[in-house]
Amino acid sequence: MSPETAINVDHVGMVFTLDDGTELTAVRDVDIKIGKGEFVALLGPSGCGKSTILRLVAALEEASFGRVTIEGQDPAELSRAHRLGVAFQDHALLPWLTVKDNVALPYKVAGKKVDTTRVKELLELVGLGKFAGARPSQLSGGMRQRVSIARALVLRPDVLLLDEPFGALDAVTRRHMNVELQRIWAEDEVTTLLVTHSVEEALFLADRVLVMTGRPGTVAMEMKIPFARPRDPSIQRTPEFHAMADKLTLALEPEA
Amino acid sequence: MTGFATRARGFLAKYWGVIGVLLLWQGWVWAKDLNAIVMPQPLDVVRDLVTNPGIYLSNAALTLTLAALGLVMGMALGTAIAVLAWTSRLLSGILIPLGLIFSSVPVVALIPILARLLGYDVKTVLAIVVIISFFPAFVFTSAGLRALPPGSEDLFRVFGSSPWQRFIRLVLPSAVPSWMIALRLSAPPAVLSAMVAEFLMGTSGLGYMFRQSAADFQTDRAFGTSVVATAISVLCFTLATLAEKRVNARWS
Repeated sequence: MSPETAINVDHVGMVFTLDDGTELTAVRDVDIKIGKGEFVALLGPSGCGKSTILRLVAALEEASFGRVTIEGQDPAELSRAHRLGVAFQDHALLPWLTVKDNVALPYKVAGKKVDTTRVKELLELVGLGKFAGARPSQLSGGMRQRVSIARALVLRPDVLLLDEPFGALDAVTRRHMNVELQRIWAEDEVTTLLVTHSVEEALFLADRVLVMTGRPGTVAMEMKIPFARPRDPSIQRTPEFHAMADKLTLALEPEA
Repeated sequence: MTGFATRARGFLAKYWGVIGVLLLWQGWVWAKDLNAIVMPQPLDVVRDLVTNPGIYLSNAALTLTLAALGLVMGMALGTAIAVLAWTSRLLSGILIPLGLIFSSVPVVALIPILARLLGYDVKTVLAIVVIISFFPAFVFTSAGLRALPPGSEDLFRVFGSSPWQRFIRLVLPSAVPSWMIALRLSAPPAVLSAMVAEFLMGTSGLGYMFRQSAADFQTDRAFGTSVVATAISVLCFTLATLAEKRVNARWS
């Protein structure tokens, strides 16, 4: 871990009260420290609470126990200062805006002057320079996610949060998008928390993988990923990669 | 020539029903030898339309102006109240049932009351159209303000949006497709209700013209008025549908 902690999920528990009054513990005693400029993947099956952790870091939820801080501050303060970047599984692009205007949206929401050069650069970076004037409905699923990632990065956030950004894509597009994301991320090595259920995705992208399992969810395993950057897609065919993938898969389903 | 032939065939294929009715009507009047006061021939109606275009046009322009003005005012009011109801649960609790009750009152029943209040002139006609156009705008805008694209609410929160930015950049644009439905639904009734109001208590416009010509046994002119009114309604509906399609293409 880098010497400086950027995101500190400090012994966090999360309890939801359901409509009928019963309490549901989503996550219990989750302790995660993410260093500045580190890329951490939170890997787990559906319903293990990994998205809850991301939502806590994104200031979309309040922890029931423990505390989440980003650079010593409450996540809500960073959100108010427009220093969080986020991309969700459903791209959440506004259909009435062009690709360019969707990427420029964070500027407008923040009440800042749109830096058109930055928007243009980012669209080039995600390979959509020619589609600046297109509408989201005219793009493929993969292209929409690229726009959504460009939008997340446009304000140069302190923290990038990715919640299954490629979860709705087919396997081939998904692998392709992982290579793209790695390239995009390498430009600016921003502190990143990626939530995913794909072992390969976590291994290929992250500096460190945390496996979350169980109900309530807890961190079951931590694995440092030694591959040097930039990573070539071919590393996914090495025995080392396969061995680590097997280990992570086993951690995901201990009973299988 | 062939182009004309295919066009004519296309026209026939589309409108054979209307043409059939017209032929039947003409045939029926001939066969029964009906008096023109009871039932004019389609040709008489057409003759009156062609020989007196001025009286039709001036009255149609009047009715159309009132309908358009009332439509704009009613939709503006409906949208404004929907936005007001959106801002607070308490207000929506009061406004939505009130709107429902108000819209359930038949227009015909409202006309005499409004005429007493506002006077037997265009003000009442305008008020009727405003009331008719208000409700769809209110209901559909209310629904549209809550139909946000999936994930967009979380997105705006993470990006640290102020409530005002959220309203202007997310909530209001989200309501546009629903608002267009309200426009399409309101446009023909706006014309119709303007005419009904004119018919019952007006002193000008197509509705009044219809009543006058019927009272004077100018049945061909009364029919001509109906033809003009129908044409205007169809036109309004078509325009609103086209506008809706264009907006939907952009919003989908």
